[in-house]
Amino acid sequence: MTTTGFEGIAINAWSVWLLPFIGAAIIAAVARAGHRVRDYAAVGFALASAISAATLLPLGLEGAEVHSQIPWISSLGLEAGVLADPLSIIMANLVAWISFLIMVYSTGYMHGDRDLTRYWFFMLFFIGSMQLIVLSDNLLMVFFGWEGVGLASYALIGFWYYDRKKDYVGVEGHIAGGIPMWTSPTHAGMKAFLMTRAGDVMMLAGMFLIFAYAGTFGFVELAEDPAWAFAMSQQNLLVPAAVLLFGGAIGKSAQFPFNEWLLEAMTGPTAVSALIHAATMVKAGVFLVARIGPLFFALASAGAFSVEQFFEVIAWVGAITAFLLATQALVNPEIKKVLAYSTGSQIGYMMMGLGIAGLSVNFVEGFTAGFFLLISHAIFKASLFMGAGALLHGVGSRFMSDMGGLRIHMKKTYVFMLLAGLSLAAAPVITLGFWSKDAVFASVLESGYTFSTPLFIIAVVVAVMTAFYTFRMLGMAFFGKKSRHIEEMEHRGHHVHDAGPRMWVPYGILAIASIVIGVIGFVFEADLEHILGEYLAESFGIQGGEEASEEEAPVTIAPEGDRTWFGLNPTAAIASIGAFAVGGALGYIFYIGRHVSPQIISRSIVTRAIWKFLYNRWYLNSALYWGAVIGPLAIYRFIWRYFESTIVDGINPALQQSMSYMSGVVKAGQNGITQTYLFVFAAGIMIIVMLLFL
Amino acid sequence: MKKMVDLLSSPILVTIILGSVGLAIPAIDAGRREKGRDRNRLYSAIAFGALIVAIGIIIFRVLTGEVLPAVAFSQEVVVDDMFGSFFAIALLIVSIMVTASSWNYYKGRSNPAAYYSLILLSSIGMVVIAYSTDLVMLLVAWELMSLPTYALAGFSKRDPISNEAAIKYFMFGALSSAIIVLAIGLVYGITGTTNIGDSISALANLDASLMPIGLLAVALFIAGFGFKMGLVPFHMWLPDAYEGSPTTIGALLAAGTKKAGFAAAIRVIVLGMFALNLDWTLALAVVAVFTMTLGNLAALVQRSVPRILAYSSIAQAGYIMIGIALAPYSDQALSGSLFHIMNHAVMKSAGFIAAAAVATALAGYSLQNYRGLGRRMPITAIALSISLLALAGVPPLNGFWSKLVLFGAGINSGPIVEWGPWLAIAGVLNSALSLGYYAWIMRKMYMEDAPDMRRVKEPRAIVAVLIFAIVFMVGFGIWYTPLLNFASSAVPDLTSNITQASTITGGEGLRALPGGSGS
Repeated sequence: MTTTGFEGIAINAWSVWLLPFIGAAIIAAVARAGHRVRDYAAVGFALASAISAATLLPLGLEGAEVHSQIPWISSLGLEAGVLADPLSIIMANLVAWISFLIMVYSTGYMHGDRDLTRYWFFMLFFIGSMQLIVLSDNLLMVFFGWEGVGLASYALIGFWYYDRKKDYVGVEGHIAGGIPMWTSPTHAGMKAFLMTRAGDVMMLAGMFLIFAYAGTFGFVELAEDPAWAFAMSQQNLLVPAAVLLFGGAIGKSAQFPFNEWLLEAMTGPTAVSALIHAATMVKAGVFLVARIGPLFFALASAGAFSVEQFFEVIAWVGAITAFLLATQALVNPEIKKVLAYSTGSQIGYMMMGLGIAGLSVNFVEGFTAGFFLLISHAIFKASLFMGAGALLHGVGSRFMSDMGGLRIHMKKTYVFMLLAGLSLAAAPVITLGFWSKDAVFASVLESGYTFSTPLFIIAVVVAVMTAFYTFRMLGMAFFGKKSRHIEEMEHRGHHVHDAGPRMWVPYGILAIASIVIGVIGFVFEADLEHILGEYLAESFGIQGGEEASEEEAPVTIAPEGDRTWFGLNPTAAIASIGAFAVGGALGYIFYIGRHVSPQIISRSIVTRAIWKFLYNRWYLNSALYWGAVIGPLAIYRFIWRYFESTIVDGINPALQQSMSYMSGVVKAGQNGITQTYLFVFAAGIMIIVMLLFL
Repeated sequence: MKKMVDLLSSPILVTIILGSVGLAIPAIDAGRREKGRDRNRLYSAIAFGALIVAIGIIIFRVLTGEVLPAVAFSQEVVVDDMFGSFFAIALLIVSIMVTASSWNYYKGRSNPAAYYSLILLSSIGMVVIAYSTDLVMLLVAWELMSLPTYALAGFSKRDPISNEAAIKYFMFGALSSAIIVLAIGLVYGITGTTNIGDSISALANLDASLMPIGLLAVALFIAGFGFKMGLVPFHMWLPDAYEGSPTTIGALLAAGTKKAGFAAAIRVIVLGMFALNLDWTLALAVVAVFTMTLGNLAALVQRSVPRILAYSSIAQAGYIMIGIALAPYSDQALSGSLFHIMNHAVMKSAGFIAAAAVATALAGYSLQNYRGLGRRMPITAIALSISLLALAGVPPLNGFWSKLVLFGAGINSGPIVEWGPWLAIAGVLNSALSLGYYAWIMRKMYMEDAPDMRRVKEPRAIVAVLIFAIVFMVGFGIWYTPLLNFASSAVPDLTSNITQASTITGGEGLRALPGGSGS
C-alpha cells in the first residue's frame, strides 16, 4: 500500500516522529505553565507518539506497507518520506513504548532536577530523531535522524555539565598506559560525540557513493532497480560503499573499534543510559544493518555478484566486540559500566546474527535471530538499567562494592532485576534472552559459512562470560553482607528503600514482559520469523524458511533437518544451556553463595596480569588517546607554530586592512551632499546609455 | 478594442479594500479628534485587518486557480496573473509586518491616522505596479506608491535627520519619476501605444533610424526603476533615506517599494530588451556586480544598524540582478530572482523591525546599543541573528536556497555566456564579505556586555511579527519547495515571448511600425 502525502494511515506514520519534535519545540513554552504541566506534557508527547506507532501495528502484522512521500529538495529530485513496513513498524513500537516507560521513569528519577526542561527537550528530541531513523524511507533522512540522536546523546551524556565528582565514571586515580581512566560528564559527552562522528563521516561517504551511482537515497527505489549496484560492483565499489555505511553503524552501536565511547557515556542520568545507550540509539546501527543488509543480499543474488565480504565484516566485527566487551565486564566495579559493556557485547551478537544471515543459505533465519535479539535485549536491558538507576538512587554510589545485601531493603528492584538478569544470562526456556540468543547460535551453526565453527565457539564463550558477569552483578548488589557504605548511611539515619512506583512500575513491566514473552518464546520467534520472512520475500524477493519449502523455490533450501527438538537446534540449545550452567555456577559460587572469595585471583601472577589487562580495558582506551588525541595535537601544535602564526597570521591583517581601506573609499563618496548624489545619478544614466549603445 | 476590466480581479479588489479603509481611517480620526486619546492601536488594528483581508483574497484566488498563469503582456491595463500575485503577496507581507510592528513602534507619536492611511495607499500602489501591463497604469501606480512614502520618510517632523532623509528621497523620487515619464513619452512617440506588450512588439520591428530613441528609452527606464531598486550608481540617496526614516518605514522602503521596482523592471526592461535584441545582459551583469560589491563594502564600516541594513539591501539588490541579467540564458535565473525577492522581503523586514524594537526599547540605533542584546532582548536578538544569517545565505535558512538557485543559474549558464560563472563567483565572494558585518552585529549582541545588562521588556506586537519571520525563514529554509515552485510558476514564459517577437521580426521588410497602432 503506497500513499503519497499526508493521507489516511500515513498521517499516523508521520506523526510517530513529528509529535516528539513538536513536543521538543514547545516544551520550553509549556514549562512556563508550571513544572507539573511540563512533566505531564513531555510524557504525554511520548505517549502520543507511542499510540501513533501502535496504530500501525495491525498493518505490520499483516505484512502491509505504508509508503508516503512529499516533495522536499526538488532540485535534486529528493523526496521526504516515511516507509512503514513490518521491520520499521516493529522497531518503531519497540522504541516508542520503551521510550514512554522511560519517560515515566524519568519523572521519578529526575525529580527536582533544576534543568528538567532541558532534559525533556533533549529526550523528546531524541525520540523524534530515533523514530526518524526508524521510519524514514531514504538514507538522507536517516542521516538527519542519525545526527539528531547523536546530538541528543551528546547533550544528555553531559547533562550534568557542572561535573560534580559524583557524576563521574571510572575509579578515581586509575591510570592505564599513562591515561586517566576516570571521566567527567562533559568530557564523556565530547568523547562520545567525536567518536560516533568518525563513524558518521564514513557513513556519509558511503551514502554519497551510492547516491552517485543510483541517483537516489530511497530504500524502495534502491531495491527496485539494481542497475546501480551492478555498475558499482563492476568498479569494485559496492562492498567498500557498504562497509562505509556500516562504519556509521559500528560508530553508533559502539562496535569494535569504536566501542570506547559507550563506557564513558554512563555519566548521563541513568534514564538516559537506559533509553539511549541500551534500548534504542545503540540499536540504530543494528537497525541500519537490518535495513540495508537484505537490500545488498537481494541485489547480490539478483545481479550475480558477491557482497559476501560485507557480511563477513559485519559478523566478525560483531564477534570481536561481543568477546572484547564481555571480558571487560567480568572485572568492572561499577554497575552501570558492567551493563554498558554487556550492551556492547550483546549488540555484537546481533551483528553476528545479521552478518551470518548474509553468509548462509537461509537469510531469513539469521536475520530473524539478530532482530529478535534486538527486541529482547531492548526490553530486558532497559529494565536492568532502570533497576540500576534505582540502586544508584537508593545507595548514592555507582560502585557495586558500596552495595550488597540489598535484596532485603529493595525487594521490588531485586525481583525485577533478577528476572531481567536471568534473561541477560539466558536462563533456559523461560526467558526471552534464551530464545533470542539460541536463535543466533542456531543460525551460526546452520549457516554453512566456512568459519562458522570459530564464530560459534566465540559465541559460546561469550555466553559463559555473560552468565558469569550477570550473576556477579546481581550477587554483589543484592547478596552478601551490607557494605560499609550502606552501614554508614544507615548510621547517619538514611534508610535504603525501594524507589516510588513511578520508577519501579516501568522496569517492573519490562522485567515481567521479558519472562512472559520468554515463556512463549518459541511461538514468538516463529511468528517473528514468519512476519519477517514475508517482509523479506515481498520487499526484496528473498526466499527462505517456510516460504521456500512451500513454493519449492530452488534457490535456497532451508536446512530443516537439524531442527527437531521444539524447533531448536540441539547442538545450539545444549551449548547455550551449558554456557548458562557453567557461567552461572561460577558466578553463584563467587558472588551469591560466596563460597569462595574472588580474591583468589590475586594469588597467581598470571591471573593477576589477566585481571589487570582486562581492568585496563585491553589498553584500548590508552591507545585511543595516544593515537587520536595526543599525537595529532602535537602535530597541530607544530603546524600552528610554523605555519599558522607566521604565514596565515601575516596574510589576515593585510586582507582585513585592504577591505577597510576600500570600504573607506566607498564611504567617502557617500558624503551626504545632495548635489554629489545628483551628479552620480546623472553620470549613471550616461554610463547606462553608453553601455547599451556600445 | 480594450475590454472592460474584470471587477473581480485581484488588483481591483485589493484597491477597493485598501483604498476604502485607507481613506476611512482619517475620516474616523476626524470624527474622534476631540477625545484626544492615542488612537494608534485602533488604526493599526484596522489597517492590519484590511491588509490581511487583501492578502487573503490574493492567496485564496491563487490557491483556487482563478488567476491566470504568468503572462508577460495583456491587452488590458492590469492583468490578474501569477506574476502579479507573487509580488502582491510578497509586498503585502511586508506591509502587514510593518503595520503590525507599528502597533508598538508608533505608540505615542503624532498623527497615527495619516501614518496608517499612507501605508495602505502606498501598498495599493505597490500591488498595482505588480499587476500593471500598461505604461500609464504603471506610472500612476508608481506615483501612488511613491508619494505616500515621501511623507512617511519625513514623518518624524521634529527630527532633522528624518527631514533630510525625506527631502533627499523626494528629490530623487521626483527626478526618477520625471525620467520614467520621459521614457514612456519616448516609447509612445515611436510606437504609438502605451500597452507594454504592444509597444514591445512594436520596438522589435523598429525602423533603424528610430533605434537610438528606443535604446534611450530603455536606458531611462533602467535609471528610473533602478532608483527604487537601489542599483549602483542610482543608490546614493538610499542609505540616507532608509536610515533617516522611521525604522518601520525603513522596512517598508527596503523590503516593499524596492521590490515593486523589481516588478516593474522585470515587466518592462527584461521583456523590452528581449524585443530589442540587445546585448544588454552584460551591462546588467556589470551593474549587478558593482551593486553587490559596493553595498557590502560600504556596510563594513558603518556604526548604525539601520544604515548597515540599508547598504545590505543594496547588496541584496545586486544578487537579485544576477537573475535578471541571466534571464535569457537560464530557466532558473528569473525564478531565483523572484524566490530571493520573496525571501528578502521577509528577511529585511525582520531586520528593520528588530532594529525598530531596539529603538523602541532602548532609544538608539547605534551598534553600541546592541551590546548584550542576546540577554537583554532575547527574542529580538535571535530574530535579528536569524535574519542576518539568512541574508548572508547560511544554510538551512531560506536565504541560502534562493542564493543557491541564483548562483546555480550563473554556473549553469556557463556554456552559453562565459561570464555567467563569474557572476556566481562574485556573488559567493560577496556573501562571504557580507558576513563581515552581519557577524559583527551578532558578536555585539552575544559576546559583548552592555553597561546595563538588565532585561528589557520586548514590545509584544513586534515580538509576534519577529516570531512569524523566524518561522518563515527557518520553515522555508528546511522545506523550500513550495516557495520555489510558486516562484517558478510566477515567471512569465520568456521563450514563448521570444518566439513571438522573432516571428514578427522574422518577416522581411517589416521595418515599418506595425499598422493599426498609428504613429
